[in-house]
Amino acid sequence: MMYIQHFNCISPQQNVLSNDMDLLNDASEKKMQAKEPVYESIPPGVLRRMGKAIRMGVGTALPICKAPALLNGIIIGTANGGMEDCIKFLNQMVQYEEGLLAPGNFVQSTNNAIAGQLGLLTENKKYNITHVSRGLAFENALMDAMMQLNENPTGSYLLGGVDELSTYNYNIEKLAGTYKEEAVSIKNLYTTDSPGCIAGEGAAMFVVSNDAAGAIVKAEAIGTLHSNDEKEVKGKLKKFLDENLCDDDKIDLFLSGENGDNRSLKYYTACESLLNSNTTVGRFKHLCGEYPTASAFALWLCCELLQTQKIPHHIIKKKSTEKEINNVLLYNNYKGYQHGFMLIKNCR
Amino acid sequence: MNRVFVTGMGIISAIGNSVAENHLALKEGKSGISKNLYLFPTKYASILPFAQVGISTNELSSKLKIFEKGVTRTSMLALHAFNEAVEDAGLSASIISAYGTALIGASTVGGMCLTDELYEDANKCEQGSDYTQSYDCASVCLFLQQRYKMNGIINTINTACSSAANAIMYGAMLIKNGFADRAIVGGADSLAKFTINGFNALHILSPETCTPFDENRKGLNLGEGAAFLVLEKEKDAAGKKIYAELTGYCNANDAYHPSSLSEQGDGPFFSMQGALQLAGLAAADINFINAHGTGTENNDEVESRAMIRLFNNPPAFASSKANVGHTLGAAGAVEAVFSILSLYYQELYANLYYNNAIPSTGLVPVQVYKKMPVQHVMSNSFGFGGNCSSLIFSKA
Amino acid sequence: METAELKLQLKKQIVEFLNLIQVKPEDIKDDEPLFGEGLGLDSIDSIELIVLLGREYGINIQDPKEGRKILVDINTMVAYIEQHRTK
Repeated sequence: MMYIQHFNCISPQQNVLSNDMDLLNDASEKKMQAKEPVYESIPPGVLRRMGKAIRMGVGTALPICKAPALLNGIIIGTANGGMEDCIKFLNQMVQYEEGLLAPGNFVQSTNNAIAGQLGLLTENKKYNITHVSRGLAFENALMDAMMQLNENPTGSYLLGGVDELSTYNYNIEKLAGTYKEEAVSIKNLYTTDSPGCIAGEGAAMFVVSNDAAGAIVKAEAIGTLHSNDEKEVKGKLKKFLDENLCDDDKIDLFLSGENGDNRSLKYYTACESLLNSNTTVGRFKHLCGEYPTASAFALWLCCELLQTQKIPHHIIKKKSTEKEINNVLLYNNYKGYQHGFMLIKNCR
Repeated sequence: MNRVFVTGMGIISAIGNSVAENHLALKEGKSGISKNLYLFPTKYASILPFAQVGISTNELSSKLKIFEKGVTRTSMLALHAFNEAVEDAGLSASIISAYGTALIGASTVGGMCLTDELYEDANKCEQGSDYTQSYDCASVCLFLQQRYKMNGIINTINTACSSAANAIMYGAMLIKNGFADRAIVGGADSLAKFTINGFNALHILSPETCTPFDENRKGLNLGEGAAFLVLEKEKDAAGKKIYAELTGYCNANDAYHPSSLSEQGDGPFFSMQGALQLAGLAAADINFINAHGTGTENNDEVESRAMIRLFNNPPAFASSKANVGHTLGAAGAVEAVFSILSLYYQELYANLYYNNAIPSTGLVPVQVYKKMPVQHVMSNSFGFGGNCSSLIFSKA
Repeated sequence: METAELKLQLKKQIVEFLNLIQVKPEDIKDDEPLFGEGLGLDSIDSIELIVLLGREYGINIQDPKEGRKILVDINTMVAYIEQHRTK
């Protein structure tokens, strides 16, 4: 259990909360690429070397690190880190036949470069870690933050999830059959009934602590599972809810990671079936696309929805009559195999 | 909070394919470093020394009965060490797949040991190889998870060269916080054209076998390997063979430079100090430090300085990098095994190829194998991104 | 090539190779230190500059320490290039 004090995000969208779907950015060339801001908080001398994942991660984190040196640690989840730099270095290797190579790409390609740069720029010499467990990298980072706060109850931590979409990982995933063959508008994402999803990317950052004062959102519990059996997933979710939701409590919003891939729909349907008519069902992948740490975007969205108490129409799949949103269940899976549940509460 | 004990170990490295083989090689002061890399074609195969595991990928594959598609050498090395560790701890298949059994791995190379395949898949949009889902670091643990049908928490950590130390630390935290009953923790990395060229571009690969803590050291040698530990709670460890207790750990950041350590060594200093504090030990209680000691100009001098800063007169210390090379994401686990062997057998292993002290620090590592009472061992792992971690293992 | 011309060419190459956003080649002074104060480059840049010298001018510098003497400012780099270039 922990409280979210600050949150920030870089995603393919700028108007997530608008009801007007025409204000959303649609996929372009089958990709949903992040709308990067002008990175005023990053010194130009450092920015020049950063690949997109590092830029997005650092650029999302710095504005919410009010007193960075006071943070007790930096906890990042990223499946691929600086993938683009990694392949750029590979390409150099091939082009120059393992000869004279510029090391910049290599240094920037390591998964821990985001957390490392954040430590450097905020002069934070404390706990610094990078979780890379693919589709559960952010969930594991969140669990880490909970444990750190348990061991260090007065502390506060920077928690984030970042993944970039580069030409290279797009190519690899395309070869693996991850994406839809056909170009799809986000307006039709959930009705295409074809295999594959739309590629996405983004960064979401949170400052978390045990301090309820000033917090809007409480991350109550987290659960993860590896399985391709929807019955097992449903069973795990039931157990998760039994353990973490009081008898008289209910889920007001089920935020589902449905991504338009007809191969993974059964898991979302199975989980949705556990909830009753008091629960509004919402979806978010039309906003951010699919990527391994998309659940970090979902948590950010959850913070926004709880803060405004309004759910834009384009997010709603099924609406309940309940007005207030207090408890949110966030369920996401990556490639139908890595499943993560988060129970999020309104704490105002 | 729960105490955490090590009840099983497994390792594969350039000096042996099991804990017993590694133990013997350490006692004998054997080095696994040579200039005959046969794993994949690279310009540096016979120019630079490497520490490769003495089993080909094909042999590993048949020995481990790998029938799945897309399994990389890194995953095979991991499985080899994992098998030994769980067997050593006597964990049954049902215990391994129980909800309470966590798997925390570490890797920096992951499936990128297949550098050429990755290049093809990333740049050409034609036929994909069998490995499109195997390049990332997570692929190693996901392979182990599928092999053993594991249902507990599965995680992979990449903090460069300190990855496995953090995996061990993380597993212990899961147990202490009640997220897991036991944790199988460790790391794996194999040699790769990618890392060879990366470290070479940074000019930190030694043209000869590395000489940690020597005045004339010329850099590091890359190695490969895997190691896993089984961590259990006091209650579950009771009655079993107990190798050591994990009493201290700390992760700190140097916050100085993306690829080198600060002169004053704040990161190493804070990680060592934090581990002591958690263990409730004084500096004088540490009998031996398994140093990170890569053999680079920067690391060995800064690490020495940080040891002096914290310990004043540092205890006996040595680096095993001249035995097994720098195994990157596996190093923290490989060296945890070595540290625990020192505790378990009450002996220290030699830091090979050392001749003269670094003038500015004057520190002299352990130069010959010796028996000696060892109660607490500290193991250091420092990496790119300023990521520094220290672990303390104590005699159980 | 005239020294002045070589200096400008080198400045352009440095800005491009190190991706020095916000730096115009012509704004780099010939005697401005490349490292620390001045351009504010670091040790990774120094290795990258050695790569640049190798690729553009066929100059092979094995020891980064030797590089430190050459990579002081534009003047020292150009003087070295004029003496040692092989292409």
